[in-house]
Amino acid sequence: MKISLLAPLYLGITLVCATTAAAVGEVKIAKDAKGHFTLLRDGQPYFIRGAGGAEHLALLKEVGGNSIRTWGIETLEKQVNGKRLIDRCAELGISVAAGIWVAHERHGFDYSDSVQLKRQRDAVRAAVRKYKDHPAVLVWGLGNEMEGPMGDGNVPKVWKELNELAAIVKAEDVNHPVMTVIASAASTKVKGILEYYPNVDILGVNAYAGGGGAATAAKAAGWEKPFVLTEFGTAGHWEVPKTKWGAPIEPSSRDKAASYFATQKTMTEEAADISLGSYCFVWGQKQETTSTWYGMFLKSGEKLPQVDAMCRAWTDKWPANRCPRIVRFESELKEAVFPPGKLCVARMEATDPDGDELRWEWTVTAESTDIKVGGDKESEPPSFPEAIVSAEIGEVVIQTPNKPGNYRLFGILRDGKGGASAENFCFRVEAR
Amino acid sequence: MKHTIILTFIAALLACLPAHGQQLELGDGTSATITGKAWEALNAKNYANAVAYAKKCVEMYEKQAVEMQKELKDPVTSEREEVAKKWALNDVGTCLFITGQALEKQEKPAEALAAYKQLVEKVSFAQTWDPKGWFWKPADAAKERIKALGFDTLK
Repeated sequence: MKISLLAPLYLGITLVCATTAAAVGEVKIAKDAKGHFTLLRDGQPYFIRGAGGAEHLALLKEVGGNSIRTWGIETLEKQVNGKRLIDRCAELGISVAAGIWVAHERHGFDYSDSVQLKRQRDAVRAAVRKYKDHPAVLVWGLGNEMEGPMGDGNVPKVWKELNELAAIVKAEDVNHPVMTVIASAASTKVKGILEYYPNVDILGVNAYAGGGGAATAAKAAGWEKPFVLTEFGTAGHWEVPKTKWGAPIEPSSRDKAASYFATQKTMTEEAADISLGSYCFVWGQKQETTSTWYGMFLKSGEKLPQVDAMCRAWTDKWPANRCPRIVRFESELKEAVFPPGKLCVARMEATDPDGDELRWEWTVTAESTDIKVGGDKESEPPSFPEAIVSAEIGEVVIQTPNKPGNYRLFGILRDGKGGASAENFCFRVEAR
Repeated sequence: MKHTIILTFIAALLACLPAHGQQLELGDGTSATITGKAWEALNAKNYANAVAYAKKCVEMYEKQAVEMQKELKDPVTSEREEVAKKWALNDVGTCLFITGQALEKQEKPAEALAAYKQLVEKVSFAQTWDPKGWFWKPADAAKERIKALGFDTLK
């Protein structure tokens, strides 16, 4: 009698324990047989093939990605296909570098104000408590460029506070490493972290031009712990040549794709001893200097050649459908100054690796005047549909706007199967 | 005799000119000055001049650069003054990078690739000063460019 009553109770406890153990998703840092750092996720080696963003998750998986990075904890609650983002990720087998925002001084936060510090510490503690047992969580992304994206990073009080925040995270959660992300692997920043922020487990670096060398640069500054390249892609708008009137010249679509591939490969090979992987930027679309500079997708959802490049880098194969390839985008208007109301022709020569029929879309926009730093939100500049006079396959006639100023002509190419390419050039209108 | 002297003078003068016939102003002829002129030409989109200046610097200082590379096991990681002591190494490495960049702009990928490979193979410890306040390694950038140029030809 006693035994028969106890048996189902014992079984129930065993099942509960099994379910609880499976839900935690322990992630640890270890060294492999070569002495290289590796993540162990539920005991198995795990290399991050990641993307920054919260969209196009199924496609990410399809092309070989396995992780996303978010910046603020609230993003985990974003609704995706009727589910929370974090649950959708778990469903797809995508891990999450769960970003917890750490305030920036440039936004008004005062790192000597105890009230603000306490509020931030409480928020960090609450965030970790809420999500620490979710199986999709891979690592905590404690802060993004909070040292100031453009400064020299000589900010001991920020590093010291991060050390406190990391201690809070670790007190709440022993199962996930703490990563902090900085802008570039500048020596002063790395040295500052080494001196004031010993609680960090992983250094994350956002680096664009030359991003493949960021891990090497961190090592040269003395970094000996694990590393993740947390944002990379094409050269940044601050890193490229400019027109005579100061507009940054956006790299071509082929150059962008090559940059993504080259950075991924270089970083993986050159820093195999400390690299845990990377997150390309941005797995979605964003207005930052232009509507196409950093996004790996169009606003209308089609993937751009950078996605194909990452697929190739991750899997050594091209995706089933490849994006069109822009060979040349030329015009006498390109990087030139013209009077108002002038008719000009622009030509975009392109091919499609799959032989798909291509369609062009042309747009003239004003040069953005809402340029921020650190990736802060920017508004879209106005477009001028009346500037498009006529369009044929691969060719457009435009009439320069009447209002003097700086503009861009965008050429977007779609293959009708979810692939696209986009380029633009700058021009200026001056009354004569 | 007079003709011989004149001819010799003309030959010497011609020898100072680059193969494509452009006249280079070498200033004080130091590697730093020539490298500066190469950068200026690259930034001004005068790619032919950029290549010319950069190649001149390599021609004049490569031997010393390679000697400096051999003295090191790793790139110099101490203060700016210490890095600057490897002036030939730094300037030749930088000029090979400029050469590659200019050749890419001239749509000569095979020649650009050769310049980048020479940089990586012979003077990989070279460092270039960024006016924003740090050194970067042209060999690291070259490795990426080698991969990027290779990407464009992947089937």
